[in-house]
Amino acid sequence: MTDPLSWGAIFLAMAVRFTPVWIALVVTFALSITFKRRLALYGKLFDSPVGMIGFAIVMFWVFTAFFADMIITHDPLGQLSGLKNAVPGSPLKNPEDASYLYYLLGGDHLARDVFSRMVMGARRVLTIAPAATLFAFMVGISLGLPAGYFGGKFDTILSFVANLVLAFPVILLFYLLVTPEIRDTGIPIYLAAVLFLFPILFLCVLWNSRYFTNKPRRNLYVGITLVIGLWAYSGLAFNLDPLGVWSMEPNLLNVLVSVVFVNAPTVFRIVRGIVLDLKARDYVAAGQTRGEGPWYIMLWEILPNARGPLIVDFCLRIGYTTILLGTLGFFGLGVSPESPDWGSTIDDGRKLLSIFPHPALAPALALMSLVLGLNLLADGLREESMKD
Amino acid sequence: MNTTSDWDPSKPILEIENLSISFFTRLREIPAVMDFSCAVMQGESMGLVGESGCGKSTVALAVMRDLGKNGRIVGGTIKFKGRDLTHMSEEDLRHIRGSEIAMIYQEPMASLNPAMKIGAQLAEVPMIHQGMSKDEAWALARQIVADVRLPDPDRIINAYPHQLSGGQQQRIVIAMALMSKPALLILDEPTTALDVTVEAGIVDLVKALGEKYGTSMLFISHNLGLILDTCDRLCVMYSGEAVETGNVAEVFEDMRHPYTQALFRSIPLPGADKNSRPLVAIPGNFPLPHERPNGCNFGPRCDYFEAGRCDARDIAMSPVPQGDRHGSRCVKWSEIDWNAPFKAKAAKPKTPIGKVVLKMEDLRKYYAVSSGAFGGGAKKVVKANETLSFEAHEGETLAIVGESGCGKSTFAKVLMGLETATSGSIMLFDENVQSTPIQKRNTDMVSSVQMVFQNPFDTLNPSMNVGRQIIRALEIFNYGKSDADREARMLDLLDLVKLPRAFADRMPRQLSGGQKQRVGIARAFAGGAKVVVADEPVSALDVSVQAAVTDLLMDIQRENKTTLLFISHDLSIVRYLSDRVMVMYLGHVVEMGTTDQVFSPPYHPYTEALLSAVPIADTKVVRKRIVLDGDIPSAMNPPPGCPFQTRCRWKTQVPGGICDTEMPPVRVLKGNHQIKCHLSDEVLATMEPVIKIAAE
Repeated sequence: MTDPLSWGAIFLAMAVRFTPVWIALVVTFALSITFKRRLALYGKLFDSPVGMIGFAIVMFWVFTAFFADMIITHDPLGQLSGLKNAVPGSPLKNPEDASYLYYLLGGDHLARDVFSRMVMGARRVLTIAPAATLFAFMVGISLGLPAGYFGGKFDTILSFVANLVLAFPVILLFYLLVTPEIRDTGIPIYLAAVLFLFPILFLCVLWNSRYFTNKPRRNLYVGITLVIGLWAYSGLAFNLDPLGVWSMEPNLLNVLVSVVFVNAPTVFRIVRGIVLDLKARDYVAAGQTRGEGPWYIMLWEILPNARGPLIVDFCLRIGYTTILLGTLGFFGLGVSPESPDWGSTIDDGRKLLSIFPHPALAPALALMSLVLGLNLLADGLREESMKD
Repeated sequence: MNTTSDWDPSKPILEIENLSISFFTRLREIPAVMDFSCAVMQGESMGLVGESGCGKSTVALAVMRDLGKNGRIVGGTIKFKGRDLTHMSEEDLRHIRGSEIAMIYQEPMASLNPAMKIGAQLAEVPMIHQGMSKDEAWALARQIVADVRLPDPDRIINAYPHQLSGGQQQRIVIAMALMSKPALLILDEPTTALDVTVEAGIVDLVKALGEKYGTSMLFISHNLGLILDTCDRLCVMYSGEAVETGNVAEVFEDMRHPYTQALFRSIPLPGADKNSRPLVAIPGNFPLPHERPNGCNFGPRCDYFEAGRCDARDIAMSPVPQGDRHGSRCVKWSEIDWNAPFKAKAAKPKTPIGKVVLKMEDLRKYYAVSSGAFGGGAKKVVKANETLSFEAHEGETLAIVGESGCGKSTFAKVLMGLETATSGSIMLFDENVQSTPIQKRNTDMVSSVQMVFQNPFDTLNPSMNVGRQIIRALEIFNYGKSDADREARMLDLLDLVKLPRAFADRMPRQLSGGQKQRVGIARAFAGGAKVVVADEPVSALDVSVQAAVTDLLMDIQRENKTTLLFISHDLSIVRYLSDRVMVMYLGHVVEMGTTDQVFSPPYHPYTEALLSAVPIADTKVVRKRIVLDGDIPSAMNPPPGCPFQTRCRWKTQVPGGICDTEMPPVRVLKGNHQIKCHLSDEVLATMEPVIKIAAE
């Protein structure tokens, strides 16, 4: 029986566990700073201290998610006897239970290792949040471009619907989408069916508008997109993938759909605003005077020039989505009860917060640092993209 | 507060000595101005002239000590009334700025606070600097507004900036600068954002006010003609250095620096002609601030360059004897024969004018504008084009001249098919395309009518490389069978516009304005265009580049027998390159004829005013000064009768006041010269030429 570790020893031990992350970070920064003049906006990020700090924090969690299997000390779902609500640095009661002898950040109310759960949680959060944001962007861009470009009735109707969604209380919307009664009506599935179609449509239009003068190449790109896209679509939206590669648990699907649904209108409005500005440029008129179709102009002439503000918003929105997922987890609307994602873990720890703060505190700090990092990164990108 | 009693009025009011300014970026220090010296005496106006990026505005900002956080004065002194501004505290500077030195910027709307009434903005100045009472300050504001010749000053001081037109706003900015009777007024391109007829009014005003108040002026412009009109002395800048300075008349007639000489040869003065006496463009490009050559900055582009002497060491300004404080930064100025007639470029054959390719008849384009916020409200009709009829022939250059809002851009849109005409017909190669939008036109038709745009910084997609953008046009026009075909054709096109082939992989931001415009031209000619609409293709370029781009357009036209519709407000360049001219005002064609017919009497009264408003950088030209009152009426609410009647100085010569009520008919004078005016033939015959070249 050994003594609990002191705080200094706990931090040292954690730092050692994060070794792969440190190495990856050092390599990333060394390479990026060496070649920063050749890396456009990404390279410029390394001229801004704020941007670098933000990038470091974000990459810390990205690498943590990536190397999670090497970092964790215990099975995040495994319960060891005698470690229920154990304080940070507690040694195992039975050293033969596991190879690592300490619960570095203590145990939770089910005697699971808080540290391992936090690390594994990073993986959950960092897959769901960017994926949900990406879908939201696909939907927002696909609708915002034509709304801004064509204007008129189409724009009026879409903007009205977007405002309607934005005006609806988000939490109430989530509750509705996740309640069993609503789920039984199939609404989330239909929503998913519609929302997940956008990336496929987006890519098909993208290829067609660019390569319609070169039929074989167009057919190749659109074909590949359709095969992979519809395959993934069948699995993700309807869980009908014949090969069983793509699938999503119903809970996760609900969460993803709700997050995309509430984020897309904001993206729509941003894109629409940028398009209204960019469509008055001469290169757009030049495209029109040589007979380009509207979608080519939107996707290849306007969209690439809107990337600056969109990238910044993307970073901010991942942070926002992360908090949203945390909130959902906290309300018990999370991915699955067992899941180590940060929101659910905070919720679990909440009940005993006054006695044992550590099970809730570790994921809360992790969540905070990730969102802070994303915000700093976005600030850095914005600042640098404004300069020369 | 430091008074100016210790300053002796016989000394220069502003004396800049060996001023050097650098901007510090994260990559390097960029010297913007090097070793700049000049002196402005009491009541004198000094012109700073040069191309964009030569540092003229930086000098002005340095005088105001407003260089931003990246800019720093790294050497030299700026003495204002004997006091050194470079080492003055912020507190002392605040007393000087706006009260003793005032500045007028290019964009009037950006200089005015949109949330404050004009009177309040003006009154602020004496209230802050002289502690004047509010009532007195407002009274003074009203008086100064009247001084800048704005109608109805009582209404104006209670108006907000957005209720005034651009010309009126600029007058208010000038009024604001004059509120505290400054000793020095800095004008940074004060008329560049305005139309020529409005510009003429502002220039007159500035000159008159300078005389009235005895204000010294530092006038910054890229337009040599404007400097001749307004200044006593000038300083020609090139790439951060003053290359020549002196009395305006002396520099214009007896220039002693090769750059000044080259500049004058590249601007279209009366007498230049695209075939017999083409312009001489300055070869090469303006050096980037961190790639300046050793020795003389102009060396690599100079005809008199001598290796070993011109590029050996930094060259200092040397005084020209017998001159009036005339100086030149050239080591060879005393050896060059300045009177040698310049080797005129070989005259080029005139393009034969062929058959009619484009014919417009009675074209009208109206826009319906609703005024309500929710699409309701009364519908208003904007008549952008009214009864437009003309023909354009193969190989011909037809210039369309007019100020903003005259409908020339709408006309271009209708021709291109981006908009469809309300009525009338457009016959293009014997095909009526009046109501065919561009989506319904076939590829041949689309590729044969192309456009060159005005703004070089906007004409290319900033996220796509140059080669890709040209290849895209080729793909759309179904040119070639394979990617290799198109690649080869793209490189040919780059050769055609005289750009290095390596530019294919460059991004637009790596190109200069002139180079971008060349890419724009290459793209327009990708499908072998037969009719090219050039919408002010050179107005945003520097003068030395303008000549080269104009020449290029002419060469391509000669080769391809293209019909060029040249839209412009710059009459000098129009006179230089066009075969026929069409003058537009508020959607109407007011005059049309060959270039000679339009540029000599009888004129339409508007053409006459336009001709007189354009500054000409030639001391031998005597211009009749006709300054139009007021601004161009809004196309939403055009005046009844003749569109020009509100500003016409000949109106009293028409009996019965029919100008107010009746639209004048199109009159065909001798040689198919058309004029839309009520003036009788006798009155027209009394018109005198606006521009006379004085006998030498």
